[in-house]
Amino acid sequence: MTARKSGSRLETEIERCRSEAQWDKIPELVRQLSAKLISNDDLGELLQGECKLQTYLKENPIKQGASPRGPRPKLLEVRKHLTAALDRGNLKADYLQEASLLMGKLCYVEGEYRDALGHYSRVTMEEMQLVGAPVYRLSMIAEAYATKGLCLEKVPAASPSLSNKNTGSPSSNRSTTDREQDIITCYEKSGDIALLYLQEAEKALSAGIQNRSPKPGPTAQDQELGYFLETGLQRAHVIHFKNGNLTHGVGRFREILRAVETRTTQNLRMTIARQLAEILLRGMCEQSYWSPVEDPPTVSPLDDPTRQGHTLSKNYSLSRRPRVYSGENLFCPQENTEEALLLLLISESMANRDAVLSRIPEHNNDRIISLQSASVVYDLLTIALGRRGQYEMLSECLERAMKFAFEEFHLWYQLALSLMAAGRSARAVKVLKECIRLKPDDPTIPLLAVKLCIGPLHWLDEGECFAKMVIDMGEKAAEFRAKGYLAIGLVYSLKATDASLRSMQEDYQRKALGAFQRAQSLSPTDHLAAFYLALQLAVSRQIPEALGYVRQALQLQGDDVHSLHLLALLLSAQKHYHDGLNIIEMALSEYPENFNLLYTKVKLESMCRGPEEALLTCKHMLQIWKSFYNLTNPSDSGRGSSLLDRAIADRRQINAMTLPDFSDPETGSVHATSIAASRVEQALSEVASSLQSSAPKHGPLHPWMTLAQIWLHAAEVYISMSKPAEATACTQEASNLFPTSHNVLYMRGQIAELRGNIDEAKRWYEEALSINPTHVKTMQRLGLILHQLQRYSLSEKVLRDAVQVNSTAHDVWNSLGEVLQAQGNAAAATECFLTALELEASSPILPFTIIPRAL
Amino acid sequence: MLAMDQGVVEEWLSEFKTLPDSAVSTYAASLKEKGSLVPAIYKVIRENYSDLLEPVCHQLFEFYRSGEPQLQRFTLQFLPELLWSLLSVSAARDPHNSGCIEALLLGIYNLEIVDKDGQSKVLSFTVPSLSKPSVYHEPSAIGSIALTEGALANHGLSRVVYSGPHLQRETFTAQNRFEVLTFLLLCYNGALSYMTCNSLQSLCQFSSRVCICGYPRQQMRRYKGISTRLTVTSEFLVQLITGIHYALCNGEVELGSKALDDVLYRAQLELFPEALLVGNAIRSSLHGAALKSNNKEGARSIQVEITPTSSRISRNAVTSLSIRGHRWKRHDAVDLGSPDELMDISEVDEGVWPGVVGPDMTPPTITISNSITTLNLGAKAMKKCRLGGRNSKDKETSPLTTGRAASENTEHAVKRLTLTSSQSVPKAGALTSLTRTASAVFSRSFEHVAGSNAPPSTNHNTCEAALYSCSLQEEGYLSPAPNHTQRSPSISVHLGSDL
Repeated sequence: MTARKSGSRLETEIERCRSEAQWDKIPELVRQLSAKLISNDDLGELLQGECKLQTYLKENPIKQGASPRGPRPKLLEVRKHLTAALDRGNLKADYLQEASLLMGKLCYVEGEYRDALGHYSRVTMEEMQLVGAPVYRLSMIAEAYATKGLCLEKVPAASPSLSNKNTGSPSSNRSTTDREQDIITCYEKSGDIALLYLQEAEKALSAGIQNRSPKPGPTAQDQELGYFLETGLQRAHVIHFKNGNLTHGVGRFREILRAVETRTTQNLRMTIARQLAEILLRGMCEQSYWSPVEDPPTVSPLDDPTRQGHTLSKNYSLSRRPRVYSGENLFCPQENTEEALLLLLISESMANRDAVLSRIPEHNNDRIISLQSASVVYDLLTIALGRRGQYEMLSECLERAMKFAFEEFHLWYQLALSLMAAGRSARAVKVLKECIRLKPDDPTIPLLAVKLCIGPLHWLDEGECFAKMVIDMGEKAAEFRAKGYLAIGLVYSLKATDASLRSMQEDYQRKALGAFQRAQSLSPTDHLAAFYLALQLAVSRQIPEALGYVRQALQLQGDDVHSLHLLALLLSAQKHYHDGLNIIEMALSEYPENFNLLYTKVKLESMCRGPEEALLTCKHMLQIWKSFYNLTNPSDSGRGSSLLDRAIADRRQINAMTLPDFSDPETGSVHATSIAASRVEQALSEVASSLQSSAPKHGPLHPWMTLAQIWLHAAEVYISMSKPAEATACTQEASNLFPTSHNVLYMRGQIAELRGNIDEAKRWYEEALSINPTHVKTMQRLGLILHQLQRYSLSEKVLRDAVQVNSTAHDVWNSLGEVLQAQGNAAAATECFLTALELEASSPILPFTIIPRAL
Repeated sequence: MLAMDQGVVEEWLSEFKTLPDSAVSTYAASLKEKGSLVPAIYKVIRENYSDLLEPVCHQLFEFYRSGEPQLQRFTLQFLPELLWSLLSVSAARDPHNSGCIEALLLGIYNLEIVDKDGQSKVLSFTVPSLSKPSVYHEPSAIGSIALTEGALANHGLSRVVYSGPHLQRETFTAQNRFEVLTFLLLCYNGALSYMTCNSLQSLCQFSSRVCICGYPRQQMRRYKGISTRLTVTSEFLVQLITGIHYALCNGEVELGSKALDDVLYRAQLELFPEALLVGNAIRSSLHGAALKSNNKEGARSIQVEITPTSSRISRNAVTSLSIRGHRWKRHDAVDLGSPDELMDISEVDEGVWPGVVGPDMTPPTITISNSITTLNLGAKAMKKCRLGGRNSKDKETSPLTTGRAASENTEHAVKRLTLTSSQSVPKAGALTSLTRTASAVFSRSFEHVAGSNAPPSTNHNTCEAALYSCSLQEEGYLSPAPNHTQRSPSISVHLGSDL
């Protein structure tokens, strides 16, 4: 530093310091400069003036919204330097312009807006070269435009002499418009040049760092924009939005965002990206959208209609513009949600990077700031992705928000809901637990958890805990109290189905009934309470009472599919098959694609109208299946997008499909084991399908399960018609889909029996049981075969096990009676026969439990 | 209905019929000037029994069919009112008088679900990805993007269908009603910017009524109309919320916030996660923004201000960015640096596993931990997994282990039928603790819970083919005790509870 620098080197050093805003080094450099040549004195004055002005502004920054405070003694010195530089007129043209611009800035700081404008009009700023200009000068020009805009806004419009166009038009309205246009042009130019300056500055800096390594380089991140550049970058769009001119505001936002980012603009970009996303989501729609590379529409509903008469247009050009993102295959959004998402992902990555992790009290404020800016972004992401049904992606995004989430209820809750919507139930329950901890008074949260526990998870013990939480809230839970009882009733009802001991089953059934009754009395207008009460009564074979409540449910909600289904089953239990079929047909007119109803229809038809009719229904089901699922275009296999995927998210369809699919067509009781078996089935068939190419494509299994189920129903009808060949063909179709399904194996066993191959049938039944050890229907058939083979005690054992699993299966009781009779145990046999008889009298055509139970 | 209104509507009805095709677009533009027409049509729709309803519906459908965007929007503006009319009539179980409205709505639906060539329309959009350059960013500037399962699976842009293809519908049934209505609302939301205040207000009122009728809140809102509960679906509510959000931000603050409240109330009662999610987000994002009810016609309340560009976060706070370069102590390491370290850790693993599980550890257990770690960790951890996989295979091939495993398997098979749930508890516990230890070694991140969500497909896909037989055994002996999955997250991996 002490060595004297040669002229050009000194000049580059000065240029560098000015570009990097190292004002403290200027006085020393000026001293060296003036020591060289006398003509440099004017330059020295200019530099000193600039340096003092900038230092002053650094120490006394102007705040947004506050006016500058008038003359200050320190500024007098600046004025003296600059006047000296300007007056002598020895400066080169470039420097002279710089001096004028600085003078204008000084006047603005002192509050002399007219004087400032006077200085600016002396320099034709439009002609100042941007190409090849030193970096600092770009900043100076940008600031000058911003300052000019500020001055124009301050000086009343009534003085046209100061407008640099000097039109003096007679129509004052017209001149206001012109003036507004001038102001905006100033700011827009300022903003563009500012972006260019920042890009150039960063380039120079990185080049500088590479060239001279050991020098204590300036702390790069210290660079701040300052009042003038900040105004220049933002004021234009602020005015556009204030005037209700959304089209231009959006256009301006996009211009700023398309410019290649610099370190200094990161925060600005984050804010603007978020604001633009907000506008896209709150103020635009698909039809009023135009893409960032298109011209905006000339007439847009987005703009304030009262001002639409005079659209402000962009009417300037710059010799050099900031660099924009370019290259091949750039993604350009074509839709408002796409653009909003892109912007939000960018803001999210920045907000995430700024997450304050330390929890010491000193950083409390920082943490709140980082949390706020992030949660706004996550809320907007939720809105955008929710609209498009992309819950899976949303849950991944919200998971990233977890670093902000310590003790933040909103973020936890949103994550839980998104996991739930994305079908990630187990994780959702875990997160809901944390939500409950943070907000123990909200009954919705435990109810959401019960919903998952009862539904996809089948975690009944946990479900019971959650439901009890709601009930324990008592009166506080208000309208949710009834829902709490409903939930616990469902838990007990499902537990009763699962229980392997009869006493347990009865205990749970009693508890379930009590809970449903409570729910029904608390909320007599809720059809669900009446319906589940009816269903529970039906399961415990109190048919007349159940009929009463199901009618009540139907009065409250006339077209509820499950109530109608239950009504039909209840009628079939009373052996009014024709009435039941009528009800089913009525229900099908409202729910023509409900497979659950159709299964029952097949059963009732083969009972009342013969198997041919039933076969027609099976065919119809296949047609529905095809039209329902074949619509999906395989090429659109984006995640979570196809109709098949969406079918999973659709609660209505889950209700209609999951449970009956893998409950048995015969015994129907959905046991925990049979659920596990069906999971094994899923896993196995996935392996199988990955091995053999003929198997169905990968993807969600529900539609394929439904298809298999239809084939099995058809096979059953054929068996009842004693047509083993056709039945085998149908079973084969199902087997292609799910080769290891116990239902398929059971059906093969029946066909073998039909053909008289007792040994083969036995083998199939044993295989079916090895997959699902509690499949009652198989146990009954196996028991019968063992009976035929005269292995009485083993047969008795199997049948007793079957009765343990499902105590209401009358045919099992009957078979058990026969076995006992064959063993000579007449007394026990009689008892069994009586039980069978009694149960048969109230037995529906399909078990009541094929009706899904869900919250 | 006043005679004057009737006159206006009748004039409108006759006018369009005589219009030559060439004049349609000028006619469309002139509709805005007819100030009394729109309120008169609203009246016709509200008074269900008016004789004019049928010709009005017919004409609205003709407008929509014309394909002229302005005429289509003219029809769309009545959509909320028409939907309410349809739903309230069907709830009152009065089959009359909604026939023409049904026909109009089904007509619009059937027109909208096909494209110009009559093919089923599929509405799709591109999910942007930060890993692909765009007009707004360069991937390199974003820095490292978390290597989550989803991020890896969707490296690059993916096109996603959000609506369609839809089936043509001839009639409304209970099953398809909300599917059709949801799609119609989607069309309405696509033209929100063109909707008048009247229409937005009608949307808000419609939303409130649909959600509260028949519930205790109906008294609070003092709405006297039908009092039966109307069924809704979550998707339908999400579409309603989208419209309400627009109304809220564009002048209808009071009605809009009331409607949002009511929809959220219903979503809570119905336990609809989707509607709750979006509704909560809107409520929270508008919480800070002061919404001004502008009395000026059509005024938008979107405002921006100049914001400071410097970071508001103090420099000495520990942030995700500042922590990125930090190196952790080795046993916490997620990011395994050199191959040496990799070996070290796998040795530690070898030490830990048998110790925790006890001597009767069988190969299948290794499969589990592998699949879990694959999900949680990045590429380096995958390498590690392959290492573990090889270990387990080695074990399998050693005669002693295989023999023991085989005998155990038969034991399990024998036990299977008789095994009660309580007997399998210790097994489940052991597996959990194994998984915990294993994943704790890899990372202390709380994500290890995430492993429990692994769908079975991933399990199978990530494992080597040789291990399939093992996983079958697991499932075989675990199946009698599925209730325990709740306490042992690792087990739900095999059972795939999350499908």
